[in-house]
Amino acid sequence: MAKDIYIGEVSENKEIRPDYYLMKVKLPLSFGNPLPGQFVMIRIAGLHDPFLSRPISIYSFERAKSALIIALLYRVVGKGTQILSGLIKGSQVEIHGPLGGGFEWPEQKKQVVFIAGGIGIAPLSLMAETLCRDACLPRESMTFYIGAQTAQSVIGLERLNDLCYNVHVCTDDGSLGRKGLVTGLFQKDIKKYPADATMVYACGPKGMVRALSKLFRGSAFQCQVSLEERMACATGACMGCVVAVRGEQGALAYKRVCADGPVFDLQQVIWDET
Amino acid sequence: MEVNIAGLRLKNPVMTASGTFGYGEEYSDYIDLNELGGIVVKGLSLKPRLGNPPPRIMETTGGMLNAVGLQNVGVDLFIEQKLPFLRSFDVAVIANIYGESEAEYAQVARALSRASGVHALEVNVSCPNVKKGGLSFGADPKAAASVTRRVRAETDLPVIVKLTPNVTDIAAVARAVEEAGADAVSLINTLTGLSVDLTTRGPHLKNITGGLSGPAIKPVALRMVWQVAQSVDIPVIGMGGILDAEDALEFMVVGATAVQVGTANFINPRATVEIIGGMEHYLKVHQIKDVREMIGTFNVA
Ligand SMILES: Cc1cc2nc3c(=O)[nH]c(=O)nc-3n(C[C@H](O)[C@H](O)[C@H](O)COP(=O)(O)OP(=O)(O)OC[C@H]3O[C@@H](n4cnc5c(N)ncnc54)[C@H](O)[C@@H]3O)c2cc1C
Ligand SMILES: Cc1cc2nc3c(=O)[nH]c(=O)nc-3n(C[C@H](O)[C@H](O)[C@H](O)COP(=O)(O)O)c2cc1C
Ligand code: FES
Repeated sequence: MAKDIYIGEVSENKEIRPDYYLMKVKLPLSFGNPLPGQFVMIRIAGLHDPFLSRPISIYSFERAKSALIIALLYRVVGKGTQILSGLIKGSQVEIHGPLGGGFEWPEQKKQVVFIAGGIGIAPLSLMAETLCRDACLPRESMTFYIGAQTAQSVIGLERLNDLCYNVHVCTDDGSLGRKGLVTGLFQKDIKKYPADATMVYACGPKGMVRALSKLFRGSAFQCQVSLEERMACATGACMGCVVAVRGEQGALAYKRVCADGPVFDLQQVIWDET
Repeated sequence: MEVNIAGLRLKNPVMTASGTFGYGEEYSDYIDLNELGGIVVKGLSLKPRLGNPPPRIMETTGGMLNAVGLQNVGVDLFIEQKLPFLRSFDVAVIANIYGESEAEYAQVARALSRASGVHALEVNVSCPNVKKGGLSFGADPKAAASVTRRVRAETDLPVIVKLTPNVTDIAAVARAVEEAGADAVSLINTLTGLSVDLTTRGPHLKNITGGLSGPAIKPVALRMVWQVAQSVDIPVIGMGGILDAEDALEFMVVGATAVQVGTANFINPRATVEIIGGMEHYLKVHQIKDVREMIGTFNVA
């Protein structure tokens, strides 16, 4: 695996739900197998508007004979993702990656809980797949909680149902699964999980992560969370993408999402800093 | 391609701009640092600095705003942990320094002058994102000259003073620091800017304002380099929005002896070496033997 800039070729880019796209990009084999939780910076080759590249998690990947194909699952929220959604098969994109550290699996844990909000499903799905395959975790020990706005924005259920014994879904409007927030859904079940033997992986909007942080405060649950910030360099040089965490001796420190993350120990993240 | 800045020999005129290239190591996976004319490291202060709370950056048309607030490891940790790595390369290392007071600038300069592996100092009197020091020194010719004198007295290394564009008469500041003993000036630092989030009617940056960089500022930077180059006798280092070799050469034409590449590194980690390659190619195609023949050839007739 070598961090570098690669020219990739879009081999597929389709709208799988309104505003949600799945893009497959063909890369040279030297890109290597990405780790779950890692991301790439993507931009359209030769285009300077938008000026900065956009960070997108790796949703899945497959090794073919002469190429590595990565899949990116993204939601159109602004100019950059809008332009990405217009790319057709054969378009060239610049891919910078694979970047950041991935999720970790502490082997002494017995249970895994995934908590995804919206597009946060992307890195968590790859982690679930990897734990099934590489750590040989049985389906029974893995539970997935998904929260989304509507039934339309619940994505990749088939893949998750194959991997996890229990997949719980909730939506803001009740159009699929329970009505409510994913943190509430998980909270109802929290007693089922032995805190010190459970590993929680989470990714989602700030509000969700903040609520989880409150829920776990002072508990023995360990939670690895993938955080999002606007990025420029993604190499760790510009100090632009920081989040507040407890550093040495518990003091406030600003860590870079691109280089020190994007996965952080939720218990270390500081929310109420001024 | 070699150029000389006050006794500092650069293999080629292309350096990295402070704050956009970390401490060099962040980019060593992407390029061979030996190929660079020079590496200007992230602004160093006496003590480690936490920096400003996030969000710190926002994209704008043709550029970006940043309000990092000089988060850095501090001069001691830099010398202990970052400098040994840089010493292993055959490249000019320029330490960018910052202080909240003249005394702090002097202390940082002294510490770096004693360390081996630093080849020049770039005095940042132009950071728009810190409360104390920085811009307050650079916006006033007298204050800028006074800091320059203090640093000059502390070191035998070449002293480059980095100027802010957030002034009415940049040439006056350049002349003041030249008189105070600066060996060269570099410009421009970022232009103070603001980005508004219409949904919240608040700022995109926690610091409210930030420094604008990238191609959006290139015309302003070229104009200022041109003005300053006419007003001082010391070498001028030009920067601001350089993305490719043509951009870099334009800065040399208006009077820059060397250039720095900043924000371009973010969108292409190989930008510096591609610019060096592009400049060599340009010289070859135009049968120019020495890049120095480009300097100050701006033709207004
Ligand atoms: C490590 C990482 C992994 C990510 N993985 C994915 C993914 O797999 N799929 C996906 O759809 N998105 C992902 N994102 C978010 C994605 O980068 C942003 O949605 C995208 O940059 C928005 O660009 P835009 O030009 O379309 O929107 P803009 O016009 O730039 O912004 C539109 C909205 O999106 C928000 N936004 C902008 N940049 C970011 C950002 N970096 N992170 C979060 N919100 C942002 C803005 O605040 C604004 O509300 C990830 C972000 C990070 C940091
Ligand atoms: C994220 C960021 C951090 C910066 N940090 C510093 C710094 O620490 N010291 C300094 O003198 N200039 C700093 N600068 C300014 C740049 O060195 C340069 O002057 C400016 O960005 C213009 O050049 P560019 O358009 O090529 O980026 C910083 C710029 C950016 C974008
Ligand atoms: S994006 Fe530059 S340090 Fe993370």
